[in-house]
Amino acid sequence: MDFALPDDLLALQRAVRTFAQREIAPVAAELDRHPRFPWPTLRKLGDLGALGVMTPEVHGGLGLGQLALAVLLEEIAATDAAHATIAAVTNGLPQALLLEHGSEAQHERWLGKLATGAWIGAFCLTEPHAGSDAAALRTRATKVDGGYVLEGTKAWITSGGEAQLYLVLAKTDPAAGARGVSAFLVERGTDGVSFGPPERKLGQHAAITTGMRFDGAFVPDGQRLGAEGQGFVMAMGSLDGGRIGIAAQAIGIARAAFEAAVRYAGERTAFGQPIREYQGVSFKIADMATRIEAARLLTHRAAWLKDRGYRVTGEASMAKLFASETAVAVTDAAVQVFGGYGYSAEYPVERYLRDARVTTLYEGTSEIQRIVIERQVRREFER
Amino acid sequence: MTIVTFVKHVPDAEARLGRGPDGLDLGGASFALDGMDEYGVEQALRLREAGAASEVVALALGPARSEEALRSALALGADRAVLLETDAALDPIAQAPALAEVVREAGAKLVLVGGKQADWDSAALGPALAEALGWPLLDWATELAVEGDGIVAVHDVDDGSARWAAPLPAVVTAQQGLNEPRYPTLPNIMKAKRKPLERRPLAAASATVETIHVERPAHARRNVVLDGDVATAARELARRLRDEAKVL
Ligand SMILES: Cc1cc2nc3c(=O)[nH]c(=O)nc-3n(C[C@H](O)[C@H](O)[C@H](O)COP(=O)(O)OP(=O)(O)OC[C@H]3O[C@@H](n4cnc5c(N)ncnc54)[C@H](O)[C@@H]3O)c2cc1C
Repeated sequence: MDFALPDDLLALQRAVRTFAQREIAPVAAELDRHPRFPWPTLRKLGDLGALGVMTPEVHGGLGLGQLALAVLLEEIAATDAAHATIAAVTNGLPQALLLEHGSEAQHERWLGKLATGAWIGAFCLTEPHAGSDAAALRTRATKVDGGYVLEGTKAWITSGGEAQLYLVLAKTDPAAGARGVSAFLVERGTDGVSFGPPERKLGQHAAITTGMRFDGAFVPDGQRLGAEGQGFVMAMGSLDGGRIGIAAQAIGIARAAFEAAVRYAGERTAFGQPIREYQGVSFKIADMATRIEAARLLTHRAAWLKDRGYRVTGEASMAKLFASETAVAVTDAAVQVFGGYGYSAEYPVERYLRDARVTTLYEGTSEIQRIVIERQVRREFER
Repeated sequence: MTIVTFVKHVPDAEARLGRGPDGLDLGGASFALDGMDEYGVEQALRLREAGAASEVVALALGPARSEEALRSALALGADRAVLLETDAALDPIAQAPALAEVVREAGAKLVLVGGKQADWDSAALGPALAEALGWPLLDWATELAVEGDGIVAVHDVDDGSARWAAPLPAVVTAQQGLNEPRYPTLPNIMKAKRKPLERRPLAAASATVETIHVERPAHARRNVVLDGDVATAARELARRLRDEAKVL
């Protein structure tokens, strides 16, 4: 058993950490206050090579796996969660799906653009009335000559209106339930596709989220990804990787809050000594450290197994569940360590708390992760 | 033209150094490519990209871990690397002859090295190398270009800057202001693993450094509190900053 990251991955980790501290850290608080999609830093992340981690080198990516992506996303998230969300989506969902299920022509057309970060990719599954119960989606793709016509509404699209490529799930056969869903690659600017205003939300303000409408949008046959009826199966397949990515992001946010709390506990004095001398504070720090470590082990193991070809539905859900709840608990504890200053926008920990909160919601809520995990447990016991 | 760019593996700026039984304890420190040497690497790459050089060789002297500094230089874009491996502590003058030999062997016409390396903070390596090679030295460059058969470099002097020209071959020492070093991109970090890196044991050097005693410089604080009303205190603060600390 070897728990050490390989040397080359450590070198990549160092490079992304340095980059994030120099380029993203100075703008993170300001982007939170005055939200806008962070194109300048995303372009630089793309030049660095961090937006095509799993895409092969021939298409302009790094050709690495899920573990590398997890390590890099943690670094980005430790500086700014919003950048990590955008990076997690474009790397993990549209790009990973295109790579796995796309035709050669589709690879040629889009992979390079996504892998180099020239284009950002978005993933469009959720609808206003269909979140956890994603198979209840109603967006309709009707077959016409040479393609499909899309009608319907999507909700909560990360990078909506900003991304150039959208992986859209829509029903081609409404009678067939989940087996009637197909996937389409839709470019921004397609006639009949429009976006709502950015949602106003608790945190991660720069990771713009919008609704999306299809009013008779024509999508050619060549832009269907995979076979008709396979869309839902493909999307669910990509969620294992997606969840590992969100787990890594959650660890990064937790780490940022933890490191801030450790420093503060050594500097702030009360009753004549640094507050870390009080067990009420030091035990919090011990618990934070332990949870982060456990979350990272779950996450890296799930990623490591996935890179070796194992199916990791249970492991990915465990990692996502534990890491996201860790992020919420650790950022909350960090605010407590900071006292009143933790509540102040002058310090970053209140932002970490707000940024962390969504990690137990997207890519499947904690409740949904528990359902997935229990289903795996049951399967193993009934075997 | 081949450029040799010297890189030292030094404790990084945030490393916390301890004091061990015989000198510094570097056990807990993280190391990185020296910051000033990095300006040299960047300039070498820019000269190659501008067509003034065809090959950039990164050269290091030190313990096996120095390979990391060379890999960083390769990740930034150097073509190949040479490590003169030794665990001995050598001062710059003792290092120079061995480094000069590699420079000559590579047929290099230009050597770039940081103005000083962050570990011992000595500014001697550039001059010592120039001496060992018998080449001219342009030190503390903030600009550097190859023009015709020579180089032109700018460096700061007390009341401005001076521009110097020298024929090649030459040694140039680099410092902040020379350029803004690039980030190693992730694909280039991966490719750096596959670039040639040659390790050679360093032949015993004539003189090594013996550490007799290590002491942390004392930071005496004066703990002055200026009281009185704000305007008076501010005036007094400004006076002290100007007349005593001489920072204004
Ligand atoms: C910032 C942000 C970005 C997002 N980005 C994207 C994106 O890029 N693409 C995309 O497609 N989607 C995206 N989403 C959508 C996200 O995946 C959904 O919000 C999530 O799946 C939950 O769906 P819902 O909001 O409809 O909640 P609901 O499904 O309505 O759930 C409400 C509550 O009921 C609970 N619940 C539901 N069913 C069960 C059950 N069977 N048992 C127990 N409890 C249950 C849930 O856990 C939750 O607590 C994003 C969301 C947010 C907030």
